[in-house]
This record gives sequence, structure tokens and C-alpha cells, in this order.
Amino acid sequence: MSARSIDAGRMAYYVLNGAIITFLLTPIAIVAVFALNPTPYISFPPVGITGRWFAKFFATDDFMISLWLSLRVAVVVLLLSMVIGGACALALARGRLPGARVLTAFFMSPLMLPAILTGLALFQVFQLAELDRPVWGLIVGHTLVAVPYVLRTTLAVLANFDTRVEEAAASLGASPLRVFFEVTLPLIRPGVIAGGIFAFIVSFDQFPISLFLVPPKGETLPVVLFNYMKFDLDGAIAAASMVSILLALSVVLLLERVIGLKAYVKL
Amino acid sequence: MTANRLTRRAALSAGAAAALATVGAPAILHAQTATLKITTWGGKWGEIMKGELLPAFEKEFKCTVSADQAFPFVPKLQASPKSNPVYDVLHTNSNEQWNSLDLGVVEAKLDHKKIPNIADVYPYAISDKIVGVSIFTSAIGLGYRTDKGLKKPTSWKDLADPALAGMRGGYIIPVNSLGQCHLMMLGKIYGKGFTDLDAAYKALEALKPIKLVDFTGQMEKMLLAGEVSMGIIHDSGVLRYEGQNQPVDFAIPSEGVMALEQVLNVTPGSKVKELAYAYIDYMLRPDVQKRLSETVWYSPSNKKVKLDPKYDAKLFNTEAKVAQLIQPDWKWYNARKEEIDTRVTRLLKG
Amino acid sequence: MASLSEAVTLPLPRSARPSVSPMAWLVGPALLLFVIFFVLPFAVMAVLSILSGNPAQNPNVYLTARHYQRFLGDDLYYDALWSTLRIGIVTTLASLLVGYPLAHWMARIKSRLGHALLLMAVIAPMLTGIVVRTFAWMTILQDKGVINTTLIGLGLIEKPLPLMYNEFGTVVALVHIYVPFMVLTLTGVIGRIDERLEQAARNLGASRLRAFLEVTLPLSLPGIFAGSLLVFALSISAYVTPFLMGGTNVLTLPMLIYQQVSSSFNLGFAGALGVILLAVSLVVVIAYNHVLARFSGPEGLT
Repeated sequence: MSARSIDAGRMAYYVLNGAIITFLLTPIAIVAVFALNPTPYISFPPVGITGRWFAKFFATDDFMISLWLSLRVAVVVLLLSMVIGGACALALARGRLPGARVLTAFFMSPLMLPAILTGLALFQVFQLAELDRPVWGLIVGHTLVAVPYVLRTTLAVLANFDTRVEEAAASLGASPLRVFFEVTLPLIRPGVIAGGIFAFIVSFDQFPISLFLVPPKGETLPVVLFNYMKFDLDGAIAAASMVSILLALSVVLLLERVIGLKAYVKL
Repeated sequence: MTANRLTRRAALSAGAAAALATVGAPAILHAQTATLKITTWGGKWGEIMKGELLPAFEKEFKCTVSADQAFPFVPKLQASPKSNPVYDVLHTNSNEQWNSLDLGVVEAKLDHKKIPNIADVYPYAISDKIVGVSIFTSAIGLGYRTDKGLKKPTSWKDLADPALAGMRGGYIIPVNSLGQCHLMMLGKIYGKGFTDLDAAYKALEALKPIKLVDFTGQMEKMLLAGEVSMGIIHDSGVLRYEGQNQPVDFAIPSEGVMALEQVLNVTPGSKVKELAYAYIDYMLRPDVQKRLSETVWYSPSNKKVKLDPKYDAKLFNTEAKVAQLIQPDWKWYNARKEEIDTRVTRLLKG
Repeated sequence: MASLSEAVTLPLPRSARPSVSPMAWLVGPALLLFVIFFVLPFAVMAVLSILSGNPAQNPNVYLTARHYQRFLGDDLYYDALWSTLRIGIVTTLASLLVGYPLAHWMARIKSRLGHALLLMAVIAPMLTGIVVRTFAWMTILQDKGVINTTLIGLGLIEKPLPLMYNEFGTVVALVHIYVPFMVLTLTGVIGRIDERLEQAARNLGASRLRAFLEVTLPLSLPGIFAGSLLVFALSISAYVTPFLMGGTNVLTLPMLIYQQVSSSFNLGFAGALGVILLAVSLVVVIAYNHVLARFSGPEGLT
């Protein structure tokens, strides 16, 4: 009786998760079909297989240059937001700051404002300062919307965090710096890394802010794709999407190899 | 006489500087070439511009061109200081040029003396419905599927055919000028004229259910994929699939087609105005016009352009054909845009 | 007593006050970044929203409340605000329901390969690119789309189901985009819950479901709160998806803002709508943090 109900529960668990994964991956399968389908529009069912959209994507300089730029920007944003967001989370959770709750909400605000306004507002300020869209401006714009993720994920980890561990280390004679590096930092690492992945992806996929902050000939991939799509909505867009997925996934997997993402799950 | 000596010295050095400048002029010019900041489209248009036409222009005029393809252009121009605008030449559709004029970010009138090729354009390109000069136009009419047993539409009224319920396509009027053109056209065919908004609203409501998109590329795809059977579109959006065996065609309604003009204008604060004018003149050259026309199926403004037969047959490039183009009164429309947007949004919602 | 201690500690430098730890200084870089590159630019927008024009273009501007009056004077805008919040809440709840089981599996899966595969499946939707992803959903949900074509082909329905051009389609696509944020946030938290706790509960005779409801779920609340906030913030500021999926039936504040910026060029009204959206959402978030503090004690800031 009990064995049967366990099995049924298990089955339900896996069926449910299978359905969720199907939900997540179906649109990507559609994009893959679009990328391989010879018709210049999304059609269902597909009528054949072609590599021409991938060929077109790789043969177009604009795509290649912007892809490379997007990757570099995303890596810088990843590093910056992990440091800034992680530090900020520690301050908010451990600093006993007056008004920490309001500050926490405040740091979420770039996510709540439609990014087109943030982009326009930044563009306007840069123009008034006579700065014509420098790359660091783009990085700042992306970091602004990436920090809240690191902040959130790190705060979530800190909430379950037993401060007595730190206190114990301190009472055993460890210096505050040593406590920080040997106790605090390893404990918040999972949150910071999860946030860093968000930051990378958010920057790589960022569109409305970039729209205003990229200079001519210095456009990121989403901007180039959007401009392309306004006129030629063909499979090259889907091919670009598939390439982005593979590239970014390999970056994430690389992170997993280097820092060990699995580690954070099983701390 | 210190003052005298000083002035003499000043004069001497000024003379020397002038002499040096003359000798070294080419070098100096080369060292600090002027930059022309423009906006331009992406897609095939952008490929030809960036691949051929702009490099040729840079070479001829010894300058660099910085071409922005990232929309939206007008808000960027609007947010940049008037004395140091982010663009020297604004290329956009006619309605946005009128908006820009209201915002004071483009010139009210171009100096035609600085654009020799303007002498060869069709009158519509510099009519009182245009701020700046129109370098190309496409024609807004009806695109339809040829495989759905539909008759080729002959009138704008054909879009209201009850058989097309849910299978007709239009645009989100607040953000798309084709949708705005269509609204004015509805006033004309169902009411007293292009400005008869009440008739237009009523006619628009009668088109429900209708699928609305925000840009023409999306309408192309909806037509190609069969998600809509008939939709408002510009000729270039259908003609570009010629020879690809797609079951779509473009129809010119008897009431006329609306013009979707590609307009260039100069910004008042531009620091390289001569270059800006030279660019406009360059874009009106017959060879430049022919190249772009045959790339994206836009009708050239310059009368002297001789298109290949395939394009010649379809594009609006004779006095007679050009007469079919109706130019919307954007000044009138823009003045009412907010009110129309609110009304239309409410009307189509739910 | 409290006032006395305040009076005593007040003259001391901030960092020496016993209530504030030196760690508080770590807020510095973030605060600097946000003040210079968010508050300042946004203040410019906010100022524009109470002026009659743009002073960068035209020096003769005056103060006006007309952009706010316009919002207050038309129920179209109230409806848009309400739709925005409603879509945000529904999307958040749906993302939680869809995301929790997956996050649980990811946190508990033993095999390293399995974990890597799950991680890839979760992250892939985020990498598709907003517009391409939305087009994929259109292909699935539209009248001639995958679902309707299949169902009609099987003879199960005669007319296409209204899966798109409405709020339903909008929420489906939004959930798809934002579920990864929920999953990854939750995974970190669930992974830190000691499995032995659940095991102990079951050894004491609790059913699997009850052990989950009484042990795992309460302990994962911080993750639920964090993920929900992220998803809520993201979905109330989305505009590409409602634009493409909602058709004429959905109108949200971000869509209106986009229209004002990109085609009405009315920065003043766009700024006013932005100020209103941000103010309303900050109130929601602060209230939420408040409620949450009750759950997890004064330290709970997630």
C-alpha cells in the first residue's frame, strides 16, 4: 500500500517535471525548426532542411562583430555586478543599516521601470555631459539592471544563513577579515554565482537599454538582430538565436566546470 | 608703440599661419576628417548602404559617415542638445519628419540651391506635405493571398468583406504610420474625406476582428504564413518576394494608394551642414537611386532614374503612376495624434 | 529609554554606532552606481514630466501638472495600470507553480550530468532573445499555429482556440520567459535545506506530501519571496511580449510608455507614466517586504 503510493507520487513528480520541461523547450524547438526550414518565415509543419540561415548568420560581418561585443560586455557586467551586488547584499542583510528595507526595494527599481525609459534617461544624461555613447556607458546601463539579480539571489541565501557560524569563528580568534573570506564568502557564493549567471544572460539579451546606448558600428547582437528583423524577418534571426543559446550555454557550463555550480546546490 | 608692434607681429604670424595652412591644407584635412552623423535603415537597404554607397561617399567627400540604424531616431535627436545634435541628417518616414519639425529638431525648409539633383525630382518629393525631401516612396495598398480563393481586391472596402473576419491584418495605429494612413483612408471612403475621423472610427470598428501588428515586416510574415489572408502593406513588402514562388500579391485599390515616403532632412544644429547637404544630393543621384530602388523595391524620386524592366513594370516611376500616390497630411494628423490614439485604443480593446 | 540611548549615541560617528556594523559600508559601490546612473537620469525624466516641454530644446518651459491630470482624467490609463499589475500577479503565481517542482528536482537530483542537463533546459529559454522567443510563441499559439493546426487536424475542434491576441497568450509567454528566474532563485534556497530534515519527518510517520508541506516548503519561503519579487518586477515592466502576444486586447503601462517614447515623442507623458508605474510598484514591493518580515523575523530582507 505504502510502496504503491510512493511510486504514484514519484510518477506524478516526474510527469509534472517532464511537462514543465516540455513547456520550456517547445518554443526553442520551434526556433530550431525556423532556423533549419528553407522558407523565409516561420511555417508549420516544416518543409525541409537547410543550412543557409546559419551560413548567412556566420557570413554577415555585422552579426559576428556584434556577437563578439555582446559576449565581452556580458562578461564585464557579470564580474561587476557580482562584486557590487554581492557587497550590497551583505551590507543590507548584515550591516544593520537604518532603512534597509526601503533600500532593498530601491535597488529593485531598475527592474520595475520599463527599460526603454531607463535607456532614454541614461542617453539623455550622457548627451548633456557631451559623451556620445561610450562603451562604458553601455556597461553601466547593463550593470544597473544586472545588480538587482545578484542582490536578490544573494539575499535569499543570506536569509537562511546562521550568523552564529560567523560568531563562532570570531570567538575562536579569527580576524574579521578572515571570518569574511573563510566563512562569509563561501556561504554567500551560491547566491552570488546564481546572480552572476542572471547578470550574464540579462546583459547578453539586453535590448531596450542598449537601443539607446549603442553607438553606430558598436551595436550589440540584440540591437543588430532587431534592426535586421524590421526589414528581413528570415531564418537568420533564428540561426542567431540558436548560436546564442549554444554560446551562452557553453559559457555557463564553463562556469560550472571552473567554479562548480553543482557545489552551490549541495552546500 | 607697443600696440603697433604687437599688431604687426599678430599680422605677421597670422599671415604665416595662413600660408602654412594653405600648404598643409590637404594634410590637415586628412588628419581631422569631418564626421557626418546620419540615420539609415537596416536590412538589405543597410547592407547596400554600408557595403557600397557610404564608403563611396566617404571617399568622394573625404569624410567619415557614422550611420545609426538603431531605432527610434527621433527620441534620440530629441534628447540630445540642440546645439550639438546626435545626427546631422535625419532619414525617416514623412510623419516623423513632421513630428521632428514640431520639436524643432529639423529644418523647416531645405536650401534647394545646395541640392542640385533636387531639380530632377517628382513634385511629390518636395510638396507641401513633405518636410525636407523625399528620396524614395513606396505605396500603401493591400497585400493578399492568391491561394485562398480571394478575388484580387479592387477597393479598400474589400478589406471589410465578412469572409475575412479574423483573417485581415492591420497595424497598431498609435505606433505605425501605415495604420495611421489607413485610418485617414477609411475617413475618405466611408465618410466625407481624409479628415472625417468619426466615419473612420466607425469603419475601423466594423473591421473587428482584425489582427494588428506593429511593423510591416511582421505583416509580410503573417501574409506569407497564412495567418492573415489580406492586409494593409506597402508594395515593397510584397514585391521583394517576387520570383520566390510565394502565393502573395499586391493590389492597388481604385481609391488610390497612400505614399510612404523616405524623407531626408538636416538638423539645425549640425556642425557639418555642407556635408549634410552633399549627402542629400548624393542620395538623389540617379545611379545611387537605381541601386537602392532595385534592392528594396522603393520607387525613386529622381525622374531620370532608368530602372530595369522588372522594376520598371511595378514601381511608381512615371508622372502618370506617381499621380496615383496620395500624400497624407501629417501636420493635421500629428496635431490630433494623442486624441486619435486614445480613441482607437479604446475602440479596439475587448 | 530609547530616546536616551539615541541621545547618547548620536554624537558618535555613524560607523561607531553599535546598531550599524562596518559591513554597511559595502553598500557604497551599489549606492554610487544607482545614484549617478539611475536616480539622476530618472530625476531628469521626472522633471520633464512636470514641465511643458524639453528645456534642452526649448528654454521657454513652465511647470505643469497636465501629464498627471491626463492620467487621472481617463479611465483608459487606470485600466492599463490595473492590467499591468494583474498580469504581473498572475504571471508571478503561475511562474511559482511551474517553477517550484523543477527547482525542487534540480536541487535534489544526484547525478551531475542530470543537473547539468536540467540547468541547460532552464537557462536555454532565457538565451533565445526576447523577440525571437515571442515569435516562437506566436507560431505555437496563433490561429494557424502548432496547437490549433494539430487540434483541427485531429478533428477535436473546428475553430481555432483563442490562445493568442489576449491576456492568456501574454501570460503564457511571460511565464516562459521568467520561470528560469524563479527556478534558479529557488534552487539555491531549496538546495540548502537539509534533506535529512524531510527524512526525519517521514521517519516520524509523515507522508511525503506532508513532510514537504511542513518542512521543505516553509524553509524555502525566502526563495519563494525572492523569486516572486524578481518575476513580478520583470513582468510589470515588460512591453515586447504584451505588444506581440496581446494584440488589441491587452494594454499595459509599459506599452503606453513605449508608444509615448517611440511614436508620440511625448517624453513628459512617458516620464509621468514611468513615475506612476515605479511609485505603485515600489509601494507594492515595500508592502510585500513588510509582510515578509513578519514571516522571517527582522533580519528577513528577501
